[in-house]
Amino acid sequence: MTTRRSPGLRPLTQVNRQRSTAGSGAEDLAETRIATVLGLKQFTQRPVRTLLIKGLAGTGKTIVALEILKSAGKGKGAYISSRVPKELLEAHIPAMKETLDNQDFLDIRLEDATSVLDFVMQLTEPKKVRTIVFDSWDGLAKELDQKERLRAEKTLMALANNSGAQLIFVSEEPGATTIDYLVDGILELLRVEEQDRAVREFTIHKLRGTKIPQHKYLFTLLEGKFTFFGPYAIPDYSKIGKFTQRPDIDRSYSFGSGALDRLFGGMIPGSTLAIEYDENVPYSALRAIELPPIINFLSMGRSAILLPLPGANDERTNSILTKALGESAVADRLRILNVVRTSDLETTNLPKSATPHEIHEIVTRETTGLREKSKDRSVLLVKSVGALENLFASDLDSLLEVTSQEIITLAQSHDAHILFLPKDSPIRSRILSMSSSYARLFVRDGTVLLFGVRPHTGVYALQHLEDPTSPSLTQLV
Amino acid sequence: MNSMSATSETEDFPTTFANAVHGGLDKVLGQSGAAAVLSHMKMTNSLPDPAEFHKRLLALFGEKATLSLERAIVKDLVRRLKWALELLSIDGPFNFNATMLKIQKSVKA
Repeated sequence: MTTRRSPGLRPLTQVNRQRSTAGSGAEDLAETRIATVLGLKQFTQRPVRTLLIKGLAGTGKTIVALEILKSAGKGKGAYISSRVPKELLEAHIPAMKETLDNQDFLDIRLEDATSVLDFVMQLTEPKKVRTIVFDSWDGLAKELDQKERLRAEKTLMALANNSGAQLIFVSEEPGATTIDYLVDGILELLRVEEQDRAVREFTIHKLRGTKIPQHKYLFTLLEGKFTFFGPYAIPDYSKIGKFTQRPDIDRSYSFGSGALDRLFGGMIPGSTLAIEYDENVPYSALRAIELPPIINFLSMGRSAILLPLPGANDERTNSILTKALGESAVADRLRILNVVRTSDLETTNLPKSATPHEIHEIVTRETTGLREKSKDRSVLLVKSVGALENLFASDLDSLLEVTSQEIITLAQSHDAHILFLPKDSPIRSRILSMSSSYARLFVRDGTVLLFGVRPHTGVYALQHLEDPTSPSLTQLV
Repeated sequence: MNSMSATSETEDFPTTFANAVHGGLDKVLGQSGAAAVLSHMKMTNSLPDPAEFHKRLLALFGEKATLSLERAIVKDLVRRLKWALELLSIDGPFNFNATMLKIQKSVKA
């Protein structure tokens, strides 16, 4: 790229053509990442030419702007900085060094509006530049009076309109300013508190000519890259492959998922993990926590008992488990006790009005039987407290008593215990106080989020990016 | 007095024309925008040739914006010359070069 000079401006940083990313797929990835944010898909396809990215300091505006700049393609973008020099920006966001090297960079900290507009004319007149980022626009605009600012902004719009270039304005001004009315799209980035943890969210305030089915999305800046989270998508269980067992971690049982193991460090024998969930968490998201430990236990030659969540489809669960493990392991060492179905009660010769104690006896008996079949006599018990609450709504004291007994008894054994607990459970606090570890699942902006309360962890978005039975967890930072 | 032959009392036509270019651009683009355009066109000190000026504006801003800018310049010039805009009867679509030539010719007359 030719180095441009403008009166009063330093020569532009030359594009380093040796540091090519061509063929690496990095640019395509950026296109895809941004494009998938519904409305922004049209932005990258160009009907929306001017975008304002607003937000307080530290909300990630620069990274989002750089992601869009990256998608312009090598040598087809320019970054105009009124805040920091290139070296400092690269030091702050190392993941974007290559993007900055591949585009023009203009440091305008000491320049006036005339020089900057002249520079934009140099960029837009040849009609080769696809994207120009002003970071921040306020830095320059605040030096102009209201009328002059509006006219300068109109000048930029006219230049962009004629050249076909996209203009990205980064702003830290919280209120609406003149540019809000001129641009085609406005994104606002926020850091919000959720469960005592900070999460990042962006709001699409407007995107002209674009249908916006969802206005708010969560995103992360993990590894200095902007990654947004669309609404939770139910996995395609037809793509289940053969399960690869995960060995024990030191003296703990694996959750059967690398992501869950990294988050909780495995299940200590004799421990109880309580998973609290909001009512709007999709069943398939809960299943992503429920099934991997069972699959791994069975694949390790151990046994498991499952008291499924309300509304669970036993046939589907069986089908998923059979696909992952084969028929014999499921038939021999897994017992699914769907306590709300009378057929299960009938098979155990219990009356339809079984009490919590009677259910406990069934579980104990089944555990004893399955222990004999387990290669090391350990059994995993995965139980829905919600399903039991539904069944014993009029006798919750007994249910709590039985559950407490189970937790205490289990602590003396080498078994592991996972309890699924609805957020509004009347016995919630008692069960949580007895559980050795405790995690929460909830939904925000359509994204399913998971975090550990005990042990304390950050917030993670739960998706199914690889195996449909296993969760992919991405930390929100 | 022939209103079509009057010029600014204190300026010659080239100066009036140059000031009108500044004034017209200022009105639409603001002082920074106007200064940037003239600096970009390297016309800060010299009188722009209307045809060349039109071409450069077109390259920068496209047809519609150029039309707005040129109309603003003509309005400013007419105001400086203390003419009535209606007297500048121009047939057909607006043509900056033709309009400027007509004004210049009238001033000389």
